Amino acid sequence: MSEDCVLIANRGEIAIRIMNACNELGLGYVVVYTREDEASFHVELAREQRGAGAVYRISSYKDPNEIFSVADRANATAIHPGYGFFSENFRFARRAALRSRPLTFIGPRWEVIRDLGSKINTKRVAKSLGIPVIPGSDSPIYNEMDAEALAEELFFMQKEQGIKHPSILVKASAGGGGMGIEEVNHLDTFKRVYRRIQNYAKRQFGDEGDLIEQCLTDYQHLEVQLLCSRHGEVVHFGTRNCTIQSTGRQKRVEAAPGFDPQLYDYPFDASKVLERMVKYSVRLAKHVGYDNVGTWEWVVTRDGSPYLLEVNTRIQVENEISAAISRIKGHQGPVNLIKEQIRSALGEKLGFKQKDVSFEGTSIELRIVAEDVKRGFSPWCGTISRFDFPEEPWARLYTHVPRGRPYSIPTEYDPNLALAIIWGRNTEEAKERAKAFISACNIQGEDSQGRAIVTNLDYLYERLEDVLRF
Amino acid sequence: MADSGKLLTQLADRISYLIDIKGDAKWANLDELLDRVHGLRQSLFDITEARLFEELDRIEERVSFLEDRVAEKLSPAEVVNIVRSIQRFTLQDVLENVYDSYTELGGEGECNIDPAMVVARAIISRRVKNKLYRHQVMVIGHEKGRGEEFRNGGCARPWGNDKALRYMRVAETEGIPIHFFIFTPGSFPIEDYPGAAQQIARNLYVMSKLKVPMVSFISEGGSGGAEAIGLSDIRLMGAMGYYSVISPEGAAAIEGRIREGEKLPKELIRHCAAQLKMTAKDNLELGTIDRIIEEPPLGARREDYGFFRRLRYEMIRATDEVVLKTKSFRAFRAYALKQRAEEGKDIPEDFDVAIAWDLSDLEIERLLELRSKKYRGLGKRGYIQLKKGLRLGLGRARDMATKGYYELRYGLLRPHQRNVQKVIEEVSGEGTVFLKKVTEPVRAAYDFVFPKLERPRKVSAPESMERRSIFAEDWEQYVSPLANEDRTVTCPNASKYGCLDLWVPDLYGELCGVCPSCGHHFPLEYQWYLENLFDQGSVREFNTHIVSGNPLNFQGLDARLKRDIKRTGRKSAIITFDAEVKGIKLVVAMLYSDFRSGTVGSAEGEKFVRACDRARTTRRPFLAYIHTTGGIRIQEGTLGVVQMPKCTVAVREYIDSGGLYMVVYDNNSYAGPVASFLGCSPYQVGIRSSRIGFAGPRVIRETTGQDVPPDYHSARNALKRGHIQGIWDRREFRKNLYDALVTMGGPNLYYK
Repeated sequence: MSEDCVLIANRGEIAIRIMNACNELGLGYVVVYTREDEASFHVELAREQRGAGAVYRISSYKDPNEIFSVADRANATAIHPGYGFFSENFRFARRAALRSRPLTFIGPRWEVIRDLGSKINTKRVAKSLGIPVIPGSDSPIYNEMDAEALAEELFFMQKEQGIKHPSILVKASAGGGGMGIEEVNHLDTFKRVYRRIQNYAKRQFGDEGDLIEQCLTDYQHLEVQLLCSRHGEVVHFGTRNCTIQSTGRQKRVEAAPGFDPQLYDYPFDASKVLERMVKYSVRLAKHVGYDNVGTWEWVVTRDGSPYLLEVNTRIQVENEISAAISRIKGHQGPVNLIKEQIRSALGEKLGFKQKDVSFEGTSIELRIVAEDVKRGFSPWCGTISRFDFPEEPWARLYTHVPRGRPYSIPTEYDPNLALAIIWGRNTEEAKERAKAFISACNIQGEDSQGRAIVTNLDYLYERLEDVLRF
Repeated sequence: MADSGKLLTQLADRISYLIDIKGDAKWANLDELLDRVHGLRQSLFDITEARLFEELDRIEERVSFLEDRVAEKLSPAEVVNIVRSIQRFTLQDVLENVYDSYTELGGEGECNIDPAMVVARAIISRRVKNKLYRHQVMVIGHEKGRGEEFRNGGCARPWGNDKALRYMRVAETEGIPIHFFIFTPGSFPIEDYPGAAQQIARNLYVMSKLKVPMVSFISEGGSGGAEAIGLSDIRLMGAMGYYSVISPEGAAAIEGRIREGEKLPKELIRHCAAQLKMTAKDNLELGTIDRIIEEPPLGARREDYGFFRRLRYEMIRATDEVVLKTKSFRAFRAYALKQRAEEGKDIPEDFDVAIAWDLSDLEIERLLELRSKKYRGLGKRGYIQLKKGLRLGLGRARDMATKGYYELRYGLLRPHQRNVQKVIEEVSGEGTVFLKKVTEPVRAAYDFVFPKLERPRKVSAPESMERRSIFAEDWEQYVSPLANEDRTVTCPNASKYGCLDLWVPDLYGELCGVCPSCGHHFPLEYQWYLENLFDQGSVREFNTHIVSGNPLNFQGLDARLKRDIKRTGRKSAIITFDAEVKGIKLVVAMLYSDFRSGTVGSAEGEKFVRACDRARTTRRPFLAYIHTTGGIRIQEGTLGVVQMPKCTVAVREYIDSGGLYMVVYDNNSYAGPVASFLGCSPYQVGIRSSRIGFAGPRVIRETTGQDVPPDYHSARNALKRGHIQGIWDRREFRKNLYDALVTMGGPNLYYK
């Protein structure tokens, strides 16, 4: 295993986490960076640890050709895509596997990425396995008349249920991450929206297939973390709650586990709901032969019904809160899911079973972003001069912002500054610790006009109250 | 002295004419002879009259001798030179000498929408027993002029052909015959609206069913330009004319693979001229013309009044023949005409009978029938047919049976069924319980007799099976062999749109050869379409026994045909087959590039016509998918050219029958086919990144002297000019085709 060398095809804090995981596994690695990211901490760290030869400058993180030539040049044997960029691109994964000098893609098999990458396909398979999905179409609709008939039915159904403001969503089948989704409140406006989404999907994804669903308004957004191996092993690491999101459906505060029935009252049996979600997620994973880390996204409505949304076939930003509350074979201390992901991708067995996994406490993730919450979460750009945070045994912070020298935020990428992972023995303690952590953070800097930095720390502090509450 | 001056000019003209024909001033010291004539003119007043005439006689004798020698054996290349000579008669001479009076329409001289195309209302008269009969005709033809630039050498511009078409319609309205005079080296190859190719196609489409007698005379018949006004009931040709698929120079450039700007070897041009079989005699043998009109031994010039008399006689006689053939007692009349024709070489001064040239409705029907038969029969000997004897007979019997079946099923039963259904629906609609009780058993019985016909499946329900997602396995069933390489290619638009390099297995795999960022379409082999466009396993080829041949024995073609047959495993450049698109049955003709660059010859034309007729009898939609076509196969000469009117006639009859004729262009589609049976479709669509046009950039440069931008022929520009009706993405081809099949076309499709 030490023979392997991992090309890290990503930037920022995830690159650093992957580097750490490689170090712990005794694997070599190389990193790439773009001109804008020259000052990023991941570049500095890689130079320090592996020397100048392990650092390659490329023109874009999105050009597969460049990344593969770097891999060949650096004699890399595996590629870790991180999240975003190529992490859910089955063509990239397939090319890595099928090229004349094959590379191990650290992620699921490309067939799995392909099949679960389509919402509609996932929905169809899930339905066939008896897994609940949001009412609506379960195959892409290409025909306007069928679409309208279905929309009518969905409106009728909601009225029957006594929903005051029924609405439906029109989604591009091939879309993702909030792109190509639009809400329709009246049947009359449906046709126009449908056409717009269809055209958008055609332009953007080359497939005009659309998906029509009931629009749920009162729900919690939950996730199930799975880890599978190439040997058919499937293990889950519990659930997470990612309901607190900024506009544009960007997550800001996440917590694991998904519900805390000891602290809060839910209008349904929360433990049972979580159990069902996990059971369904494992069922689907086994059915498709899932073989790496993955996240099953769910929504839970006020009546306690879980609906499968989609599957994210990659490591996620918030994976660490699940890891933080998980213990394997009673070992103290958290699990490193990125490490497990790499091991699994390189063909190792997990070495533990579901019964070996236990859970302890609550973990909260805070996404510290330079953005103006009051102005619609608009990103702030400028130079950070000071970045202090408290050192605590129950907190970990991941950032690509270097300390000890000013760092200007590149405008090309999102203005994420850091991820803070807080752990407490129970939810109340975790929340208190998170508040203490935020209060002790000190971020300073100014933009080109000399105005002080704007961050979302206050917003995060306020929203902590809502964590795990329905 | 004045007379001697005239004589000298005449002599000089005769010598230059010989130089023109020979294309070489040094031949038999013609240049010296010409110098002598000029010398005489210089010294006209210095020498005695006796010496002058003595000298003139000597030169005259020499010239006459040389003329005889040249006339004795004219090579095809020399015939071409005769036609191109500035001394040859033009349409102007014809109008002045053949017709009694004429009025030019649509312009005069330089003040004209297209001075290369002349239209005139004219009167042609004949004497019968000392009585004069006048006929009104529409004369349409090319005017080459005598070197005037505005005449463009008789190359009609697209709007010139459009003008011709407009006046053909006028003639149709007024019920007068049309006389066409073809004096063109070719159509002017520009794409501006209405478009060189598309306009010729429109002309052919209209002419194929124009309700008046049409007679054409060919002096210089340059391919597509000639066809634009050439689809007539009788085609006459001057004995010294040429009618060819391409100029000898053009053929030489292609055959010899001569690069642009390089000089063409004279020997090669001469060789090609002979190989192309372009003379009147050759064309008569090939059956591409009906009759030859005698010319003086060295071709008719503008003073050859005898020739004009003959031309007038022949034009009248040909028009008579067309008219008489439509009459019920035509056998007798035709016999009488034939008798007279055989009488001798001299043209009679008088006609025996006066024949009116207007036709009754019944006669018009007959006229169109005969025209269709005439053009469908062209080029029959240009291909090889593998089946013989009994099997052929059986095939014919089967065809008849098929026709009968479809006629019965969709022609007779279907309307009947529709009517019965309508009555039942109307009656049921009245809605009384009593009536329902009555109609219900009738309906049941009716449903039993006429089991529900298969309708095309609805898009909705089985769609999930049809196309589950772009990620589903269906694309994996056929993968282009191009995809089996671990390398990347650069999109040609990379510098413009910043497209990333594409990994070949992705590109030719599920990206369907389309750049995901800019939508550029990389070419794909024709098999891809066979596999991806039609329902799995629904493609059934027919008429595979018709094989491309070498009817002119064109040197080197046999070997090339052999090579292509071996390489492609097919026997012609067209594949005709039955197929289904989401359950709708259709007939498809596909021209593809691997076989002689998708050029159309006799075999291809015949297969196309048969496919067209098959679609008509089975009442199925007809798709012409053009993977690539390089035009008419030049090695088949005019046998190739006549495929243009031949196929257009078949297409017109199919469309008139109430079908749906769709043309989809991909990659490169140029020249003859576009200018005829493809360009006349009401539904023409280009696949993205395809090129559609009349002549390629090189030919345009060489004929017009102007350079065209690289995207001159792009589908986008073709759409802007109105040549095509839309641009389709390759990935949506199947879906769009299905939509088109369902929503477009005439009332006679089997599923309507």
